[in-house]
Amino acid sequence: MALQDDIQVHTKRRVLVALLGLIFLLFFARLYQLQLFYKDEYGKKSEENSIRTILKEPVRGNMYDRNGLLVVDNRPAFTVTVMPFEFNKRVIPRLAALLSLDTNFIADRLRKGETYSRFAPVKIKRDIDFRVLAALEENRERLPGVDYQVESKRFYTTPARASHLLGYTKEISETQLKQLGPAYSPGDVAGSIGLEAEYEERLRGEKGAELSTVNARGQVIGRLDNGKHDLPAVEGNDLLLTMDFGLQQFAESLMTDHRGALVAIDPSDGGLLALVSRPDYDLSRFSGVTPPHIWNRLNTDPATPMFNRATMTKYPPGSTYKMILAIAALETGTITPSWRVSCSGSFRMGNKVFKDLHVHGSVDMADAIKRSCNVYFYQLILKTGLDPWSDYSRDFGFGQLTGIDIYEENPGLLPTTEYMNRRYGPEGWTRGFLPSLAIGQGELGVTPLQMACYAMALANQGNYHQPHAVRAVLDKARTIVDTLLYQSRKISLSQTTWDVVRKGMRAVVEEPGGTGGMARVKGVVVAGKTGTAQNPHGPDHAWFVGFAPYDSPRIAIAVLVENAGFGGSFAAPLAGLCIERYLYGKLVRPVAPPAPSPVATAVSRTGPADH
Amino acid sequence: MASFLSEHLDLRIIAATFVLSVVGIISVYSATYDAHASLYFYRQLVFFFVGLSAATIVTLVPFRTLQLAAFPVYFLSIGLLVTVLLIGRTVSGSTSWLNFGLFRLQPSEFSKITTVLALASFMSRSDVSLNNVKDLAIATGIVLLPTLLIMAQPDIGTAIIFAGFYMPILYWGGASRFTLVALAAPGAVAVSALFGTTPLLIAVLEFAVLLYATHKHRVLAAVVFSFMVLVGISVQAIYEGLKPYQQKRIATFLDPGADPLGAGYNILQSKVAIGSGGLLGKGYLQGTQTQLNFIPEQWTDFIFCVPAEEFGFVGAAALLILFLLILYRALTIASTVKSSFASVIAIGITGILLTHIVINVGMALGLLPVIGVPLPFLSYGGSSLLASLIMVGLLLNIHLNRKEY
Repeated sequence: MALQDDIQVHTKRRVLVALLGLIFLLFFARLYQLQLFYKDEYGKKSEENSIRTILKEPVRGNMYDRNGLLVVDNRPAFTVTVMPFEFNKRVIPRLAALLSLDTNFIADRLRKGETYSRFAPVKIKRDIDFRVLAALEENRERLPGVDYQVESKRFYTTPARASHLLGYTKEISETQLKQLGPAYSPGDVAGSIGLEAEYEERLRGEKGAELSTVNARGQVIGRLDNGKHDLPAVEGNDLLLTMDFGLQQFAESLMTDHRGALVAIDPSDGGLLALVSRPDYDLSRFSGVTPPHIWNRLNTDPATPMFNRATMTKYPPGSTYKMILAIAALETGTITPSWRVSCSGSFRMGNKVFKDLHVHGSVDMADAIKRSCNVYFYQLILKTGLDPWSDYSRDFGFGQLTGIDIYEENPGLLPTTEYMNRRYGPEGWTRGFLPSLAIGQGELGVTPLQMACYAMALANQGNYHQPHAVRAVLDKARTIVDTLLYQSRKISLSQTTWDVVRKGMRAVVEEPGGTGGMARVKGVVVAGKTGTAQNPHGPDHAWFVGFAPYDSPRIAIAVLVENAGFGGSFAAPLAGLCIERYLYGKLVRPVAPPAPSPVATAVSRTGPADH
Repeated sequence: MASFLSEHLDLRIIAATFVLSVVGIISVYSATYDAHASLYFYRQLVFFFVGLSAATIVTLVPFRTLQLAAFPVYFLSIGLLVTVLLIGRTVSGSTSWLNFGLFRLQPSEFSKITTVLALASFMSRSDVSLNNVKDLAIATGIVLLPTLLIMAQPDIGTAIIFAGFYMPILYWGGASRFTLVALAAPGAVAVSALFGTTPLLIAVLEFAVLLYATHKHRVLAAVVFSFMVLVGISVQAIYEGLKPYQQKRIATFLDPGADPLGAGYNILQSKVAIGSGGLLGKGYLQGTQTQLNFIPEQWTDFIFCVPAEEFGFVGAAALLILFLLILYRALTIASTVKSSFASVIAIGITGILLTHIVINVGMALGLLPVIGVPLPFLSYGGSSLLASLIMVGLLLNIHLNRKEY
């Protein structure tokens, strides 16, 4: 149709004009309603009021020990934020002076935050002093766009440190931001290591939002619609730990001037009772903001306090490892428990001489364990062979991760035939390498955690439970939300084997002549094994692994004291003290020397010279 | 001289356009006063002058040229739409921009005009009738092609504009009422399905009645009805199958009050800003909501809040009246001009402008969900301003040549 039909056109035009009129009438009515009718709601009063969204940080979950003691808590901390869109860069120097920060630091933070969103507050400084907060409030008008948020920072209620176990939270890194997902914004805090990191998702909760009305100067006046539109923050879940913090604190005090580790486990389920790695550091320095000089000092300290010796260091276990060989030999039928060896203090193999500490004479297996005879075990490994030894090592959890839930772990090093071939070449090693392994030296590397689990399996006769620090996740009403399940496996050995080895371990502590007598505890039958590991870098490391009470064990423990010398002299007493403290709830042995008898203070006037 | 001018140029349209554009420029200035004032304000100013030149050229171009150029520019804009999908710049999740160094252009803005031109050219052929199914299909195809390309960016708002001007064009072009109902039904039913089963049933019922009332062919009516029901059911089924966060997005889209932090936040702020303007407004550059920058995107999607807050009911109503004036004049031009090519263009332009205004102002007033379309002449945006001014140029051209064509 090239030309229009007049009548139709006019009708259509009328229809469209009418539609037009209707639409605009609606708009006018709505304008009237908003601007003239609801004058009070949107009018004069709201002239001063605008809506501000304040993000509410959720409170991080607490941690309770196995006795219900609150060990990790929170305290409020104030964070200064800047809204880039409202902020005037000219006031950066004033803000910098107020917060004692570098102007470039602030400009840099702002720039990074701006690329994310111009309307989201950028965190400038966390955990500010209350005086700084007050100064901020006073100067609000001269600092547009500057505000503060309440966040929580960690508060540790007991003197125990448990630094490596608990871990700390830190401002989120860019890689973490990508990994953890949209629930996080730059400037947020997330667990960096330890339980804080492992259970980050459960501990952190969910952010909420508060809509408040603010006046034209940015001061909060009240809540929008009485908080009808607010999103409440969801607090993080609490964790119920398997730890006994009384024991933890005690164990830490025993290791104060030493370097090393102590791991204690409940053999009935693999729950950690204590985990000490010394030297350690004060976690309260890491809550809030860590001053950079402290961070640097800890990181560059040659004693490496940040390093978790309990789970990350591979040590040679020394004589404590002898039970593995004993078990391998018995289970493969290589020998019977009554097999004897004559120990003359050394063992000659080819042109190599392997030493022993004493001349033990004729020993059977029980004696060999009790008195820690090396010669017995040198001979035994040559009879048994490397493969059974490494197979049973693997059964007892060595050379692999235990699966503990504290975020960092080392599998140690378990030499197998394959490993030796790989390292030295198939022709590069001989049976002459084996005697060192027999006494827990050589290429073998274990972590104190693995040793504690080994003690656990010996204690409960083959139930290897996955070690863990958290039993359950709780909600704020202290009801269990999630009981965490862990894996267990059975190490099947014949009862004879268990009996022989365990009796040998009992003899170590309870019988005279045993090397672990200093681990004795009054009224409790303790079993264990000492170890003195040679160390190419310095004095020997002292080891002790053990469990108590013998019949229904409630604690399995591994103690390592670096460079301390004999296991029986330095590690065994620590283990004994811990066992006592755990089983009795306190120390029952006298710890102080008896009070001295009164000294005569009066001197007679007629002294010796007079007589 | 004056009579010469008024004889040839529609002064009312020119005046209204001029005032609206100026208000737009000063509103953008106010909206960006603290943050990016110089940048956005100057950009808008530059585009205004460029647009004025473009509009002048378009006004003075011979009418025949328009007819000849219709399909070529249409295909050119299709090409640009394809290009933008391939090498375009992504802003806020939508690949809508082509970067030309100093400035950026949005091809979708211009494709609206070229689609109208193409439709007008097609429909004005003497052998074409909208009651012929084949012709109707071609016409729909002309519209559908750019719409789909735009939906692929994705830019749902602009895609809705296409529906918004196609309906009046069809109506004007003589399509039967049944055709109009049949084309509108699936879309309307799909949207109702997102609101829930009850709104879906109501929509299906309403359109069933309409289909029955306007039908000429029972079978065809039945087919359309079944198709409509199918669309409704499948939209519901797809919605159920979406992930929760996607469902939430749609829910927010439909009901911003439920999500105060998201789109709902904008609506709340918008209403506070507009409402607090009162009768006379707070004064230029004195609007607290605007100046404290509580409304994100306040120089684009929510630009209407700025004059509403700063000039009050008087200012806002005046703006609406100016828009109304342009639209009314466009309708008058459409009905007085002889050439159907020209009148379809005029109706198409009316449709484009009206849909923009309805959606943008409706959204700012809290009557419609948040759909991001610019407000003609006022919103910051070079392409939008340029396109709006070109459309005015077209109207003036038609008006200028109304005696001969």
